[in-house]
Amino acid sequence: MYVAVKGGERAINNAHRLLAEQRRGDKKVAEIQTDQIEQQLSLSVTRVMAEGSLYDRDLAALAIKQGRGDLIEAIFLMRAYRTTLPRFAFSKPIKTAEMDVSRRISATFKDLPGGQILGPTFDYTHRLLDFTLMANGEELLDAPSGDQPVDEHMPRVLDDILNDEGLIQDEPVPGDDTAPVADLTREPIKFPAGRDLRLQNLSRGDEGFVLALGYSTQRGYANSHAFVGEIRYGTVSVEIEPEELGFAIDIGDIELTECETVNKFKGSKTKLPQFTRGYGLVFGQNERKAISMALVDRAMRADEMGEQIMGPAQDSEFVMEHSDNVQSTGFVEHIKLPHYVDFQGELELVRRMRTEVEERLAKLEAESAQSQPEAAE
Amino acid sequence: MTLQSQTSELLPGFEHTAFDSNAVFRVLLDALSRPGRIYDLPVSVATPDGLNATTTATLLAMADMDTTIWLSPSCKTKAANDHLKFHCGCPISDDVVMADFAVARMDDDLSFVSRLSVGNAEYPDQSATLILMVDEISNAPAMKLTGPGIKDSHDLEIKNLPASFHVWRAENHHLFPCGVDVIFTSPTQIVALSRTTRIEVI
Amino acid sequence: MEQTVNYSADGATAYNFAYLDEQTKRMIRRALLKAVAIPAYQVPFAGREMPMPYGWGTGGVQVTAAVIGPNDTLKVIDQGADDTTNAVSIRQFFAKTANVATTEKTTEASIIQTRHRIPEKELREDQVLVYQVPIPEPLRFLEPRETETRKMHALEEYGLMHVKLYEDIARHGHIATTYAYPVMVDDRYVMDPSPTPKFDNPKMNDMAALQLFGAGREKRIYALPPYTKVKSLDFEDHPFEVQTWKDECGMCGAHDSYLDEVILDDQGNRMFVCSDTDYCTERQEAGHRGPQHHDQPLGNAAREKAAE
Repeated sequence: MYVAVKGGERAINNAHRLLAEQRRGDKKVAEIQTDQIEQQLSLSVTRVMAEGSLYDRDLAALAIKQGRGDLIEAIFLMRAYRTTLPRFAFSKPIKTAEMDVSRRISATFKDLPGGQILGPTFDYTHRLLDFTLMANGEELLDAPSGDQPVDEHMPRVLDDILNDEGLIQDEPVPGDDTAPVADLTREPIKFPAGRDLRLQNLSRGDEGFVLALGYSTQRGYANSHAFVGEIRYGTVSVEIEPEELGFAIDIGDIELTECETVNKFKGSKTKLPQFTRGYGLVFGQNERKAISMALVDRAMRADEMGEQIMGPAQDSEFVMEHSDNVQSTGFVEHIKLPHYVDFQGELELVRRMRTEVEERLAKLEAESAQSQPEAAE
Repeated sequence: MTLQSQTSELLPGFEHTAFDSNAVFRVLLDALSRPGRIYDLPVSVATPDGLNATTTATLLAMADMDTTIWLSPSCKTKAANDHLKFHCGCPISDDVVMADFAVARMDDDLSFVSRLSVGNAEYPDQSATLILMVDEISNAPAMKLTGPGIKDSHDLEIKNLPASFHVWRAENHHLFPCGVDVIFTSPTQIVALSRTTRIEVI
Repeated sequence: MEQTVNYSADGATAYNFAYLDEQTKRMIRRALLKAVAIPAYQVPFAGREMPMPYGWGTGGVQVTAAVIGPNDTLKVIDQGADDTTNAVSIRQFFAKTANVATTEKTTEASIIQTRHRIPEKELREDQVLVYQVPIPEPLRFLEPRETETRKMHALEEYGLMHVKLYEDIARHGHIATTYAYPVMVDDRYVMDPSPTPKFDNPKMNDMAALQLFGAGREKRIYALPPYTKVKSLDFEDHPFEVQTWKDECGMCGAHDSYLDEVILDDQGNRMFVCSDTDYCTERQEAGHRGPQHHDQPLGNAAREKAAE
């Protein structure tokens, strides 16, 4: 006797309860609080905000807790929430030149106005597990303050220093800074896509994907060698200008990492050579993402620069269609959903073709047996 | 406040935004899916001068800040303008080329129709929809319609439809997949001609 | 009935009727009107991020959300079955966010959202069939670039598709496509019917119901108005044909429905049952019996034999 499987609804509800139980883990261990996540797993929080395209630390912490630490799951939760939010206003362009800088380094100059500021970085830590953290025995050391405050004047390496001599291409293109900015969350992407859309796509793109593509440009799958002109990380204020007020008001601060690369120059015998540039901007402190983004941004400008396309990072359609980890996770994982109807169609065809081949082979064998009776003995 | 004094002169929009929009949309979806079949307006709406009820309901259901409306001179009353601006928040353009929805009366000068956007071969959806206010729609055999959405054929009569309309519509039909879709709106009824619909004038 | 629906435990969060905000619904509705006006043309739309993963039917869900009204009755099937987990999940979503009636009966539904099947029972004019579509572009596996495939559709350049199908015939003696089998719509656009088995393709032709297709991740909507010509691509010497089974449905004895193969044990025993659960149930209720039905002597005999 055959009884079809039923009870999908109960199975789903029970699966959700089991999931909640596993999320909580051993109840003897104190439940993690979202403020602990927000404070102590802050780089997870900023990644979730960056790829979730929503700057809200508390919600990101909640999403990480709910997603059991699976950051792509957390990003998905943020996105699904974000999409229901009404839009009250569009901010003015942020001014990273006026960033309250926590870290700022340039690889292209030994020293520069405003100085190299190391700030909080893993760069020179020796990667030795610190077992005192495990024993909860961390000594709380306040970081020492510098002798003097950070220079208020922190010129940007590309715009304020290199561009003085006209050594680097102008950006944004003059006269272009009031043009409307595209938004891929409000309209479908059309190709060829403008740089505004490409940068938005990269900024919310999967960190691992953008990293791998950036890396590929350094290994010959593009030809646009990059110097890090400047990385700065810190806070900037966000302003909106309500129509009825007529002037801008500050609605809060966000943390950002910005990376500008100085890339291979272009020019000709008759045209003054100029360095080109790549740009990366991402929520929170995430230099890996910001640098990768700048590399890929530059690679995706191949068309504009008249360069030969030799690698995937230069192919905007390829990059933009595959960078989104909520999309790719969904589609990759969806093949675990039932596909038995289609599989049945394949089974039917393969069986039929096998039968036909078997019949053909049997016929051939019979024919050859008839024509060579001696050999068969 | 200025907003208050403005709203007091304004007519109300849909009574139940979500449900009324849905009901009107379903009629439009059916009408465009089944060209030539006549549908009653499923809701009652306040109608500003210059428009009729079905046109008003159609625009309330479909237009917003992302759609540009063009109104013919006889439709473009202050009341219609204010009503659409307030309830739909849609830009209203004087340039018919910009229109996503173009609204006119059948007895208007219809020469503008040839300037409506028809989309392009790669994006034929980037075309305008023409909403033509008419007095009376019936299934009398004035036109014989065939094409997708129509089982065998449909008869349709739009009272006093000028011959120039048919000339334009025939040209328009040949542009497929580009082209303009037409929604005829009488005071109480809706019927549509998709760009795919073949018309034989009887 | 309320236009907003509270569905968090404390009722603090209210979402709009059918989850999507009105502006999003209007955007989708405008795309739908274009889609029916240009049958099988893929209309780009600003697909939203839904609270379920891409690939789980976000396109179909958005289309249904834009179409559904308070008086609709919704049926959701996956693989032809109402009780597959994802069908249950989507049905719950609309029961919760739109408070609409749901049904498992094809005849009672005004909107049927489906993944991978078309119901066996002929649909009526007052029904809408909404397909969940993973890859809307029929040419995608021949040409991955959207910029190129869009041109090919614009120029009606479908030679590549015919070459691919003919290569199958040369290699296998058959067109080796069993699902998502491409169709030509109204002699103009080649369309992907979504991954329904080719068994269902003939049902799309001249169907009385409106057919809507939503691809959420790829952000495309397309449609077939009722009574539209839908022809599966084929060749004169290799005409299109659908799957057939030697077996009948083990439960209801149907010979005319699409059958799923059910593995009964690890000894190679299997049986076939209708993939359309409503069709099968209705036939059983009407007294039809297949050999493996539990009240069939043959079913018992087979069972006892297997037990020995």
